Amino acid sequence: MFRKVLIANRGEIALRVISACKEMGIRTVAVYSEADRNSLHVKFADEAICIGPPASKDSYLNIPSVISAAEIAGADAIHPGYGLLSENANFAEVCRASNIKFIGPKPEVTRMMGEKSTARQTMKNAKVPILPGSDGILENEDEALAYAEKIRYPVILKAVAGGGGRGMRIVRSKEELPGMFAQASTEAQNAFGNGALYMEKFIERPRHIEFQVLADEHGNVMSLGERECSIQRRHQKLIEEAPSLQVTPKLRERLGKTIERSLRDIGYWNAGTIEFLMDEDGEIYFIEMNTRIQVEHCVTEMVTGVDLVKAQLRIAAGERLRDIVPEVPEIRGHAIECRINAEHPEKFTPSPGKITVFNLPGGNGVRVDTAQYAEGVVPQYYDSMIAKLICHGKDREEAMDKMQRALSQFVVQGIHTSIPLHQAIFADEEFRRGEFDTKFMERFLERQKAKGRD
Amino acid sequence: MAAEDLQQLRELVEFLKANGIAEFDMERTDLKVRLKFAGLQPSTGVDASSLSNLASAIAAQGAAQVVPVAVPAALPSVQAAAGQASAPPVAAPAGGAAAAEAGPEAGAHIVKSPIVGTFYDAPSPDADPFVKVGDRVSTGQVLCIVEAMKLMNEIESDFSGEVVKVYVKTGQPVEYGQALFAIK
Repeated sequence: MFRKVLIANRGEIALRVISACKEMGIRTVAVYSEADRNSLHVKFADEAICIGPPASKDSYLNIPSVISAAEIAGADAIHPGYGLLSENANFAEVCRASNIKFIGPKPEVTRMMGEKSTARQTMKNAKVPILPGSDGILENEDEALAYAEKIRYPVILKAVAGGGGRGMRIVRSKEELPGMFAQASTEAQNAFGNGALYMEKFIERPRHIEFQVLADEHGNVMSLGERECSIQRRHQKLIEEAPSLQVTPKLRERLGKTIERSLRDIGYWNAGTIEFLMDEDGEIYFIEMNTRIQVEHCVTEMVTGVDLVKAQLRIAAGERLRDIVPEVPEIRGHAIECRINAEHPEKFTPSPGKITVFNLPGGNGVRVDTAQYAEGVVPQYYDSMIAKLICHGKDREEAMDKMQRALSQFVVQGIHTSIPLHQAIFADEEFRRGEFDTKFMERFLERQKAKGRD
Repeated sequence: MAAEDLQQLRELVEFLKANGIAEFDMERTDLKVRLKFAGLQPSTGVDASSLSNLASAIAAQGAAQVVPVAVPAALPSVQAAAGQASAPPVAAPAGGAAAAEAGPEAGAHIVKSPIVGTFYDAPSPDADPFVKVGDRVSTGQVLCIVEAMKLMNEIESDFSGEVVKVYVKTGQPVEYGQALFAIK
């Protein structure tokens, strides 16, 4: 097992990894920017090294600084957390070249799965269902029509060179297609200087379902079930759950086995998450893979009893999966996580500043992962998440009741937080019924606005 | 609150203000004093001026139980609180607040490390150090090397003057912002 691990991250995930290391008798090294000097991850690590000024690019994302810190501290391994350098294949390579174990997959695998089209192709080869698409540029309208027949309407035309919704058109019938094709192409040409388009199947009301995996460095892979992450605003997750009400035990097993096989084929190591979209008919399509631990790993931990961060450390140290997770875990009960952000609950504007009151809820089946504290300061340089509140109950009803109780006891003053937003969501009928999709937040916010007007 | 007690409290407040003390606790029986000086932390609780407002506010409200404190003629000497939690050591002192302390380096410009790495005072193990205390240096002059990832980075002075203090020893790990030299 490693003697000393450097955590190349900040905030709650840095503290999460430091805590796991402490429990395993591993010495910890924290790195911090000048803005994080008084952070909990710094206070609770065995050693701490300042690596730069506040801006991430000059500190947490500064590869030479992080590696240099690992060298002077004599760290055996680096845990990259999530975000920041966690999916940076270059960083993983530099670690390898510097003889420091990177806790994650090999750089080649990270690179392969990080590139959207290679990832799709890899999964396709492994017979993982992928979102049908044109797999390349559409030469002309006729080709577009031909693909749309294969894929079936509705389809979406997207600009190859673009983003931000420009050069995109949703097409619901073949009559519409020629006109839309011309419009999208012109728009793309004007916006990006390149009018080339590709096509994907369009799902009107998708659900976001993702699967957690663990793989050792000896070719063994295990799926630990799914999470439902459809409650998102502008592609940022707000609430995650495990298990998903939409995934039957049969689907869980079938998809689990397919995923395990595909990751064995590519030589995947360590923790990872495979993201899917589920359409209105319950069909499931691969969209991308995250080659790291995720923010919402906690809900999987609550329903399976597996400590995913400790598993990461043990896998990286060379242990076999059968010693870390002897049996495929049963999914027990239901867990829900709320991301508590330092932002206005209605306007969503960021709210950095000094926390004056910080009272955390506790009790049976209530978990809070946070690196904030009373008198702590939320800096303006980083993302706004300050805590994760996770509740586990025997079923979804109980998990929701616990969450409502816990939210009511989670008192933060001095800054705005999304706690009131979560309270409103947990009181919402559509949410409580569990019949939501990724458009939920749009509908919910409309409902809130309408309520405000009455 | 008795007039006598209020007077004592006022004297205490004046004393605290005069000495730039931002926070002050005191317990009796076992004399336990905790002081925090103003200005070492970006934002902290009460500042000195609000203490005298507090005294007036308490008097006005007739609030309960302000325990009169006997101010000793000379307060026991206490360490200035560093203002921030000390980062656990990495064989190097906590960097950052590189305020020049009293002594020859008072008022001097501090050259801080712009990178993380290992400090070397000379271009090679058997060579003479780049600079020593007493040397005059100019802006742009190489003062030392900080090695990071097997690369030797020459650290140039950002100030002209006389080297009055060298804070680190050759071979010592340094972090970003750590004080290396004081130049006057």
